[in-house]
Amino acid sequence: MVLVPPEIRIPVEERLFSLVLALLATENGLTKTEILSTVQGYRQAFNHSGENANLERKFERDKDDIRELGVPLETVQSPGDPGNNQNLRYRIPRGAYELPAEISFSAEETTLLNLAAMVWREGSLSAESRRAMLKLRSLGVAADEPVIGYAPRLRVRDAAFDPLNAALGRHERVRFAYLKPGEAESRVREVDPHALVQHQGRWHLYAAEVGTGVMKTYLLRRIVGKVQSTGATFDPPTGDPSADSLRELEEVWNGNSAIVEVEPGSDAATRLTKRRGTVVTDDGALELHYSDANIFADELAGFGPEVLVISPQTLRDAVRSRLETTAADHG
Amino acid sequence: MQAGDKLTFLLSLVPYLIERDRVSVTEVADHFGVAPQQIRDAVSLIAVSGVPGETTTYQSEDLFDIAWDDFLDNDQIVLTNQVAIDDSPRFSAREASALIAGLQYLSALPENADRSAIASLTSKLSLGASAVPSQVAVEGSETDATLALIRESVASGVQLRFDYLGSRGESESRSVDPLRVESVDADWYLRGWCHLREAVRTFRLDRMSNPVVTTLPISHHAADVTLPDTLFEPSADDLVVTIDVASAAEPLLADYIPDGAQRSEHDGRVRTTVRVSHYHGLKRLITSMPGVATVIEPAEARAAVAHWAAEGAARYR
Repeated sequence: MVLVPPEIRIPVEERLFSLVLALLATENGLTKTEILSTVQGYRQAFNHSGENANLERKFERDKDDIRELGVPLETVQSPGDPGNNQNLRYRIPRGAYELPAEISFSAEETTLLNLAAMVWREGSLSAESRRAMLKLRSLGVAADEPVIGYAPRLRVRDAAFDPLNAALGRHERVRFAYLKPGEAESRVREVDPHALVQHQGRWHLYAAEVGTGVMKTYLLRRIVGKVQSTGATFDPPTGDPSADSLRELEEVWNGNSAIVEVEPGSDAATRLTKRRGTVVTDDGALELHYSDANIFADELAGFGPEVLVISPQTLRDAVRSRLETTAADHG
Repeated sequence: MQAGDKLTFLLSLVPYLIERDRVSVTEVADHFGVAPQQIRDAVSLIAVSGVPGETTTYQSEDLFDIAWDDFLDNDQIVLTNQVAIDDSPRFSAREASALIAGLQYLSALPENADRSAIASLTSKLSLGASAVPSQVAVEGSETDATLALIRESVASGVQLRFDYLGSRGESESRSVDPLRVESVDADWYLRGWCHLREAVRTFRLDRMSNPVVTTLPISHHAADVTLPDTLFEPSADDLVVTIDVASAAEPLLADYIPDGAQRSEHDGRVRTTVRVSHYHGLKRLITSMPGVATVIEPAEARAAVAHWAAEGAARYR
């Protein structure tokens, strides 16, 4: 009869911590069997004389989780026996793991980074910035007290944001249904995500259309239903796609202009005059820029009688019909 | 905390402790912004962790160690043996990109008038990441002149005066002790003690005109005033309005929907309630969501929206 010791419960973080320590300490890497039979949290469950399928699966998951946290866990082929998975070795190269010694942050910079982290208070980016702050604090620099308290916040209300952000980091091709304004039915798009950018308070996906490779911009708000991963991956784009995307959006913004009359002293007059890029024309009207005619028409409709759109005609018609719809819906 | 956060915490705490000969649990807790017990738990775990070592049996020289008496009796941490870890971990690609995008968003702050500071931080974050930061970006903006005046008045301890247009449409001169600047996406707000109303008020920066830094000293300091966490505080005088909204657009109204509001969904439209301080704000909000959101009751609220939209439409006839 074999005596089975009672299972010792090792917390997940202890197992992960022990794995990172073991892989940092090894020069040449450890094989999977070495890890499972010796590292704290695995060794307790290791079966020396039989199958370890469950434990192997646990290790695979842990490996993925650790990499997700930015720990550069490497796989090294055995030089004498390439291709043999049993002889793969795992390690964490110190140089790729440690923050380079020349990187330091002043108290002032730490304050700015604290604010930058505070911007994300919802969605996956809040977890990312929380972890980044732990790493920053690890350096031991105390932040300066800012002159005035700030509480900046970026909203991530689009359900598509988190899955797209995950796909972006993994260079995964995605599929989603997209509803263009004026079209009754959404259409399925398959794209390689290159960047997520916020412009004028709205999130946009900048992605290469599969098949044509043409770069397109999608408004996250118009993505309907779930974003699905196709399982396919693509080569990371070169250059600076987010800068390209913001430049394109800026060109669209500059290219679209409208002339509106505003009721003097009204909310519309105050706010639209302060809008970025607004020019007051000689006869007191406002020349405004916008990126998306449909969204801008919604915004202008909200000002009710305080705004009269002069041109372009399409925007004028769009605002008018919106106001008529709302009046009819509430009649 | 999730296991991933706990692991990151352990990997961050070790190098911090290595740099210090002796440090109290409370000091570490303050620095990391966590409860002292969380520090004690983490240190207890670190102290018995290590590497399998040559013997593969976790001998004592392969483990971290602490001065246990100092820890247990005096709540002091003294690391007496360290293994495997020397330095702080790099940022992950996504962590770095979250901070970089956050910095871009903050480019309107007067603290960031020196653009080279953001550029230098961005490059440090990229170099300090374990992979190329992912492409998440936020449009930068010019330094906001009003924000610069607010900062100036706080630094000199004097009131800020400006003309403010309430959403009811009236313009008044306000003298304010600035307490905190808040923002939600592209909208910036000042929260301050309003000498006209003798209460804490929230002001939209884009509704302020002619801001001036006065020479009048402030009477309320940020340290003395407890500001509520949420920008839009519910009040007992709020009006409750039933609306229908397209499901997809419901998140756009999240700020106005009170916790525990009744909610039913039918044919892709949600019926729920919103709280507003007056119909002037409601009519603007609903009219900016044409065909998407409709007021159901009370009749007075419906009429306010109908009137506002009809007046607007009439301008095109």
